[in-house]
Amino acid sequence: MQEPLPSRRDRMTKVLRLDKSSEDGLRELLRFLLEKGRVKGVLALRRMGEHGAMSYSLITNPDHIDSTVPLFPLMPVNLAKQLSRLTLMEPAGEPVAVVLRPCELRGFVELVKLKQGSLENFLFISSICGGVYPLEMAVTGDIGERLAQYWKAVEQGEVIADIRPACKACTYFVPYTADITLSILGNKGIDKQTVLFLNTGKGQKFVEGIPGQFSEEEPDSAALEEIRKAREAEREKLSDNVETKALGIDDLTKTFSRCIDCHNCSKVCPVCYCHVCFFDSKDSEHGPVYYETALEKNGCVNMLSDTTFYHLVRLYHISASCVECGLCADVCPANIPLWAISLKVGDSVQKAFDYLPGRDTEEGLPATAYTPEEFAQVE
Amino acid sequence: MAVTQKGVILAAEEGTGKGILSFLKQALSQSCFDAVLVPARVAAGDSFAYFLVQDEAFLEEASPLPPIMTVQGARVISRLTKRGKGKKRIAVVMRPCEARATIELAKLGQVDLENMTLITVDCPGVMPLSDYFKDPTKGDEVFKDACQAWNSKPMRPACRICDKFSASGGEDLHVGTLGTGSGKILIIPRSAKGEDMLNKLGIPLEGDISAWKTNVKSLTEERKKERKQANESLRANIEGIDKLTEAFSACINCHNCMRVCPICYCQQCNFDSDKMKFTFGDYITRAEASGSLTVPTDTLLFHIGRMLHMSLSCVSCGMCEDACPTAIRVAQIFTLVGDRNQEAFDYVPGRNVDELLPLTTFEQEEFLEVEQSYAGASAKQERQDD
Repeated sequence: MQEPLPSRRDRMTKVLRLDKSSEDGLRELLRFLLEKGRVKGVLALRRMGEHGAMSYSLITNPDHIDSTVPLFPLMPVNLAKQLSRLTLMEPAGEPVAVVLRPCELRGFVELVKLKQGSLENFLFISSICGGVYPLEMAVTGDIGERLAQYWKAVEQGEVIADIRPACKACTYFVPYTADITLSILGNKGIDKQTVLFLNTGKGQKFVEGIPGQFSEEEPDSAALEEIRKAREAEREKLSDNVETKALGIDDLTKTFSRCIDCHNCSKVCPVCYCHVCFFDSKDSEHGPVYYETALEKNGCVNMLSDTTFYHLVRLYHISASCVECGLCADVCPANIPLWAISLKVGDSVQKAFDYLPGRDTEEGLPATAYTPEEFAQVE
Repeated sequence: MAVTQKGVILAAEEGTGKGILSFLKQALSQSCFDAVLVPARVAAGDSFAYFLVQDEAFLEEASPLPPIMTVQGARVISRLTKRGKGKKRIAVVMRPCEARATIELAKLGQVDLENMTLITVDCPGVMPLSDYFKDPTKGDEVFKDACQAWNSKPMRPACRICDKFSASGGEDLHVGTLGTGSGKILIIPRSAKGEDMLNKLGIPLEGDISAWKTNVKSLTEERKKERKQANESLRANIEGIDKLTEAFSACINCHNCMRVCPICYCQQCNFDSDKMKFTFGDYITRAEASGSLTVPTDTLLFHIGRMLHMSLSCVSCGMCEDACPTAIRVAQIFTLVGDRNQEAFDYVPGRNVDELLPLTTFEQEEFLEVEQSYAGASAKQERQDD
């Protein structure tokens, strides 16, 4: 049974209120941090082109904060991967405020455990997340017309129609390990007031002196539990989907038979970090002898024969750390319901180890941690 | 060889696909080759993949002209022969752009053609993957109707402006269907290898192909015009750094365009390598230069770098655009740039395997052209200085 709220060393008890809509309030906070020199840069979603393409941007000039859309319901990339890119060679030398979604933060925590980046000097600002729309809808321009409806549903704490299936099924919408948490989902009045939980000493220190009201209060656990239950129901419904009902080898082979072997699911995955994937390496290249031997044996060879193998190995590698962001399914040119498969497999692996990826920066990866009881269990 | 004016007319009452399969079966049984590489439906029935087949029973199930291109055929041949040729002689049935890409890969040392016989088919185009996968059953119907009418509307944007949909040079045999009338296909030898095969089968080259040639010519002219128009109107939208940046602004840096591209063959792309990894300080310095830095970084640089590397060999197959998660018009942009670059070198990728890649050849006149343009520019400069 999942706890209604993330257990954390720093409880969500300190609140900062700004008398502005949530997005304006968040921008004000970001501008404050840059102008006061508390941070060197801000990393947030920003509107890029005339046609409304969205991209993350590392901003050092406070004047550029106006063009940010930190709460726009789209995840063009999982920011975990980009944070890893920024800090792979060295930790951030100066403080940077990062606005990201709970699953992005969890993904980055996993990458840090995997030694692919550093948490140092980041101020993490996350939100109680309503979910994001599929990338496809950014392209067709369908998000714009849904925005009003999106925010209304967010206020009501409803499961939002048309968002990524992975988001509909997400029960981890309250961020773990964030320094500051913006309360939006289920918060009636987000167009009038910005409510920020200052979870850590770091979060409290960075906002010192900002014009706003500070108070001590607890989040509405009952309301959050209601939302979690609704998501849980959605999760069960979606994972009962016939396409992934049977995970036997025949069904899996069928599900993956549409795979075009592009490996884009791995390229966008926040926790697939190998510099060169085994399946892109020379070790996965077969000479003509391999194909001709199989041809002699079977009379027929599928030239994309390793696709199921690829997906199984990927699941094997990432399932303990999969944060269920759903980006893999979003970018799949063959519409394979990868999110559902990862969700099923990830869930069972994570439950077996009582592990939730990104829950705690100090918690070791299951495959790297060993407790004597585990040995007894196996024995 | 001088391309023959004659071909073989074969009956294909059950459609082009079955007609081609029946020819392949005959050739396979008479040992013209040992196996066939041909697209076929996958187990789940909702997609297609290339299969290497030597049993006639399996061949029966093949779909020589599937409604979608899941993987560019040139990549499949490269997968099979990159490490050298095998023992078996293989006939490959593919679309003209796949054959052209195969020829380019052979020039780039990524394909061994020695044991391969390339058989191309007049191509009505392929549907975008996203359209087809929404409802494969409906997709099959839409494609069937579109093929019969040679209606390119449901096809990839790249296919709609394709002017090399028929025999285009590097193939050994070509299957003509355009205007041959229903129930008939033409098998046209396009190389000595192809002609030998028909001789071996004992099929005399007696069919008149002039009507087919006229049809191909007229559709080619029509498509050339459409292509030129499409290129011009696209050019107005993407020319200059600001418009180009806008055109690629939705790029999520996944590099999937590169990974499905038949020409992009590097084992490791420069843009995925350590060379493109920077320190945190570098990123901050870049952000400070203009106040902000788009993350992921260097997306436009990637596309321009890719363009520089492969546009001379780009066959405009449209795979890149189909695989792009944010529907950037990659194939259309690369077609525009590719056409202009190829024209500058009077080069047509895949036309002839013996034709060298422009960047690997040098002609004295080229040097003069460059020298003169510099000479002209410096003379002009001198005049201005005076």
